[in-house]
Amino acid sequence: MDTYVYKKRDELFERAAAVIPSGIYGHLGPAEGCFIPTSAFPFFAERAEGAYLYDVDGNRFIDYMCAYGPNVLGYNHEEVGEAARRQWEKGDCMTLPAESMVELAELLVDTVDSADWAYFAKNGGDVTNLAMLTARAKTGRDLIVKFVGGYHGVAPWMQAYGSPGILKSDVSNIITLPWNRLDLFRDLLRKNPGRIAGLISTPYSHPAMYDSELPAEGFWSEVRSLCTEHGVVLIVDDVRAGFRLDLRGSDYYYGFKADLICFSKAIANGYPVAALCGQQAFRNAVGAVFNTGSFWLSAVPFAAAIKTIEVLKKIDGPALMHRLGEKLTNGLSDIAQTHGFTLLVSGEPALWNMRLTDDESGVLHQAWVAECVRRGAFFTNHHNLFINCAMTDADIEKTWEIADDAFRAVRKNHAMKAR
Amino acid sequence: MIDSTVLASINLHAVLRNLETLTQLDADAEDLLNGHRCAIRFSVPGIDRLTLTFDQGRCQAARGEAVPASMNLRFSNADHLNLMIEGKKNPLPTKGFRSIGFLKRQFAGAADLLSMYLRPDIKRLKSDPDFFRMATVLFANTAFYAAAEVANLDPVGQALLAKIEPGSINVTAGDDFQVCLTNDNGLSVRQGSSAAAKAFMSFDSLETLGGVLRGELDGFVCIGRGQMSFKGRIPMIDNLNKLLLRVEAYLS
Ligand SMILES: Cc1ncc(COP(=O)(O)O)c(C=O)c1O
Repeated sequence: MDTYVYKKRDELFERAAAVIPSGIYGHLGPAEGCFIPTSAFPFFAERAEGAYLYDVDGNRFIDYMCAYGPNVLGYNHEEVGEAARRQWEKGDCMTLPAESMVELAELLVDTVDSADWAYFAKNGGDVTNLAMLTARAKTGRDLIVKFVGGYHGVAPWMQAYGSPGILKSDVSNIITLPWNRLDLFRDLLRKNPGRIAGLISTPYSHPAMYDSELPAEGFWSEVRSLCTEHGVVLIVDDVRAGFRLDLRGSDYYYGFKADLICFSKAIANGYPVAALCGQQAFRNAVGAVFNTGSFWLSAVPFAAAIKTIEVLKKIDGPALMHRLGEKLTNGLSDIAQTHGFTLLVSGEPALWNMRLTDDESGVLHQAWVAECVRRGAFFTNHHNLFINCAMTDADIEKTWEIADDAFRAVRKNHAMKAR
Repeated sequence: MIDSTVLASINLHAVLRNLETLTQLDADAEDLLNGHRCAIRFSVPGIDRLTLTFDQGRCQAARGEAVPASMNLRFSNADHLNLMIEGKKNPLPTKGFRSIGFLKRQFAGAADLLSMYLRPDIKRLKSDPDFFRMATVLFANTAFYAAAEVANLDPVGQALLAKIEPGSINVTAGDDFQVCLTNDNGLSVRQGSSAAAKAFMSFDSLETLGGVLRGELDGFVCIGRGQMSFKGRIPMIDNLNKLLLRVEAYLS
């Protein structure tokens, strides 16, 4: 199988490096994105269509990162684009919000199980932060509990002490517990009566760098009743999993009801909008928090979100992505086995995680992912992957072919002990 | 916040311990020290001792008190040592007065050579490849050995170390530079590489290594260009990078 070459990539990167810190910073960059080795990965996109990403060197990738989640229906989705264009012709960022804001709020309240209201912003981190402020405003308490590896954005309180720029005082009211440990949560509640404002958690554990872990049997129902009993606001950060598991919310999917639930990535198929939804009891508290932004009530992303949700409902997107994810990952595991490797798949199929377990350091997995990318399947080695609704069975079969050839290359390049 | 105890520990176990590497790489240092035998112990309250044993033109650095010393230099506190390193204060020998001549001449000469490399003349760095190589290896040594002191003693460093799983990280710049950092209930550093390392940080040249550590190059850009690369357990590397940032605060 031919492998990709990148030329224009390097020219563009040099231009970027001259004027932008890191060249490309953040999760899309070669460093944070764990492009190992960087020579295997594209850096810049020319365009994207459906399930595919085309880089500046003209290489096509089946894109399993989906822009880290936003691409849920397929890139450049026609109906969503058309809805956005129609709103754009009328106006986007204006001195007053448009009707599309109200329509989207109505649609979310109708769609999301725990939503009696919706409050909009841009990025996921805007609404996870707002949820934290709301929990404190509502309870008058200080402490926020989160789980190990839970990513909620980049505000100082969401980061770790020791990271550049983060002070001890930034995180002094944050308590981090291991995932799925009800005993520790119970213990914490007992030792801190009247002090815990909120618990923020993703619907299941999907940290970068580590395997995903689903909630243990009974975990969420017990967390829900403990939060109710102790007056702790239960915040579900559905920024990553939201609308990929269930349009009614991932809390509904796991059989409980959040007090506050955060959405962003998949809600508008790539148009920038985030939403905090919640139960009636919290609407005065969220309204009281001072929080806003220049672009938060722009009209175009609302129009795009409305269409995205309508289409996801029409085609039952979550069921489709579940089926595609399961088919893809079952096949990948089988192919790994035929080459004498073990691929561990974790998490939910629509946003699965995978890792070769054949070496402790993860070097083999990194090498295999790089070989897949060189052949046109864009995976990353450190983060969960994503399915979108534009993917087809043919894409999955092509990915299997790529994976097979990539395993062969790894076998050849990495001498392994006989097993 | 810079903690003077951490800085003193860096000065002993990252800066002064470099005399060992200096005598391996620099013939002038070897000539200066040849024919002299002396073991100097540096004692600072609350900090692991450092013993530098000079013999046949070479220096060997040892942590703690396992190695016998012929001379003991006592410092009243961490600041006292830090001021000596800046050349603003003298130590108090409490044992080994016969070695004072060695201390004043040979040891002081070697220490001057070391600071010539660690605070290098920029013009010479650019024009003299041997000088550049020595200065970069010694500077990188200081940075990685200092990372261990920061990880073990500094509150920010300890928070970062808590996120580094047990095991080894190999740091290399081809054959020119190789150190191995191991977390085994505390971070330690040694020369060379581990066959069982879980994480790897590689530089394509001493130019990249020195440029990144001195802050003259954008490390993330170097990653994009493939001049600097990581593989294996990335959280180990990520937190080592954050330790190095903290080291910069101590060494600047
Ligand atoms: C679970 C989760 N919460 C919050 C965020 C932050 O979202 P954003 O990057 O849009 O601010 C992310 C982003 O990856 C996420 O995955």
